[in-house]
Amino acid sequence: MVEEHGRGRNHKQVPLYALIFFLCAIFIFPAVWTFTNSLQSIAGPVGLFPSSIHWNNYVRAVTMIPFGRYLVNSFVIVGLAAGIGTISSAFVGYGFARLKAPGKGALFIVVLATMMLPGIVTQIPTYILFSHIGLTNTYLPWLFWGIGGNAFFIFLYRQFFMGIPVELEEAARLDGCSSLGIFGRIFIPLSFPIIATTGILSFQGSWSDALTPFMFLSTNQWPLATALIGSSDYSLPSHPWVPLIPVVDAATMLFVIPILLLFFFGQRFIIQGVVTTGLKG
Amino acid sequence: MHYSVYGRRHRPFDVCAVYGEKGSEALVGTMAYSGKTKTASRTVRRSRFKKYLPFYLFISPWLIVFLALGLIPLLWGLYLSFTNYDGFNFNSVQWIGMSNYVQVFRGGAMAALGRTILITVINVPLGTAIGFMLAVLLNTKVKGVAIYRTIFYLPAVFPVVATGLMWSAIYADQGGMLNEFLSIFGLRPINWLGYTWAPTALILMLLWGSGGALLIYLAGLKGVPQSLYESAAIDGATPAQRFFHVTVPLMTPVIFFNLVLGIIGSLQILLQPIIISGGSLTTAPIMPIYLYMVDAWLQIFSLGRFSYGLAMLWVLFVIVLLLTLVVFATSKYWVYYEAPGE
Repeated sequence: MVEEHGRGRNHKQVPLYALIFFLCAIFIFPAVWTFTNSLQSIAGPVGLFPSSIHWNNYVRAVTMIPFGRYLVNSFVIVGLAAGIGTISSAFVGYGFARLKAPGKGALFIVVLATMMLPGIVTQIPTYILFSHIGLTNTYLPWLFWGIGGNAFFIFLYRQFFMGIPVELEEAARLDGCSSLGIFGRIFIPLSFPIIATTGILSFQGSWSDALTPFMFLSTNQWPLATALIGSSDYSLPSHPWVPLIPVVDAATMLFVIPILLLFFFGQRFIIQGVVTTGLKG
Repeated sequence: MHYSVYGRRHRPFDVCAVYGEKGSEALVGTMAYSGKTKTASRTVRRSRFKKYLPFYLFISPWLIVFLALGLIPLLWGLYLSFTNYDGFNFNSVQWIGMSNYVQVFRGGAMAALGRTILITVINVPLGTAIGFMLAVLLNTKVKGVAIYRTIFYLPAVFPVVATGLMWSAIYADQGGMLNEFLSIFGLRPINWLGYTWAPTALILMLLWGSGGALLIYLAGLKGVPQSLYESAAIDGATPAQRFFHVTVPLMTPVIFFNLVLGIIGSLQILLQPIIISGGSLTTAPIMPIYLYMVDAWLQIFSLGRFSYGLAMLWVLFVIVLLLTLVVFATSKYWVYYEAPGE
């Protein structure tokens, strides 16, 4: 649907713009309303726009529950899963992209297959196993998963590394550089875009994951994602069954800020990652 | 040449270093059959080992964790689904055959699967259509595409927990945005999260994330050759005809792929119904949005029926696997990569 009518098209496009603006309004409204509602008085009447601004809902959001502790927990999980996972996936991706050995093709099919595996089918038996040997209520599982990397990111790195000219590598080989040296000195410095993509996507994934921490961790080790679900602590102290919706909205806003910042600053890397693989993040 | 992570200098007795890679292959051949000296063949074997070692070293983090925390739990979970494991009888589990699976196909799980399929049948085609139409809108030569794209795509980036909390506030009886909005037009408030409206509420919330596939569609649309539109226009095709006879046919592979991915995702919906119900992770949502994965999750973590829940998960896993095979079998129709046009 491409309009190619020279100057006359500005008039023809008025309905098009109207439609796009209308759709934008619909799509952005829930987020905008969550923000404006987070500034509402918790006792006052409800309106689409707050009559007066109450920033102290944000104070309530961080003081009515141990918000700070959950935040730290979130960062611990993200650090282990996203930090280590990104590096580890790069290693494995390099192996699949550039090194040769028998069984490589079959192993790569296994990597691709695990991409389609619903995580929960392995996580629940892992949970049973870990709780039996006493590894639950620690962050060790995230360390292990981090070391193991992520099939999707391994795939992304492999695709990216395969695009790096072989000549660079051969020159380094002739100079006596080992595979590890080539990986560290040639591939990693060239890989900023893909490191950013995988870093952002895995930050999003581990920041948003609520179910795994629920399984493997005790309540005070939970990250924000898990702790905010059904948090009955955001309610009137005298009437615990009355939820303080503006405070819940304030907490939700605080929870999504890192994701929003990451999205706005890293948008082009996300687009790159999503488009080159044809998969949703 | 061949290399190892140890570098070249530490391999003084390496045959390959002398003969080069091709030479060493030849040597392997002659020595394996003539069996001249054992020491020589051992050297060759070691050299082959060293040649291939870097690959295995590089992939070892993934391989080890995949075996230990992927394959073994997967198979062990399959085994447990044939036992009576309930979370406490770890050392005395008994094989009970197909009985968990029989129960999955007889009991409430099938009702939950029916509801899940119903929601999927409405949610996925609608979501795909909306996502695709948004992409088509943005593929016209409008100004400010980057902004609209961000707005449409953003909901897909929101963590499910945040989306769920936002929408449960939007649907709230008291002070919810939607009822407030209805009252402006003099309409009576709706109990959005009650029996009648909960599935609609869930689907509306899911549709908010329809922009998730936008980027893929946009990339696909940019790949449609401009010349096709031009020749269609010369032949007198209206914009609508161009859309249905040029754009849609060329995009069907991408649409189909996203449709299947959407179905796979929709069958596994778990968090959303629980969160909009306002309970904790072990509180059952009301019946109309008590979906299949919610059932499996609660069977395990609320009722302690581990083996039954695992059987439920395996049934779903097989369904997802079959759908995935459909995608792979047809992948040659949808794989055409287009450079991200910015």
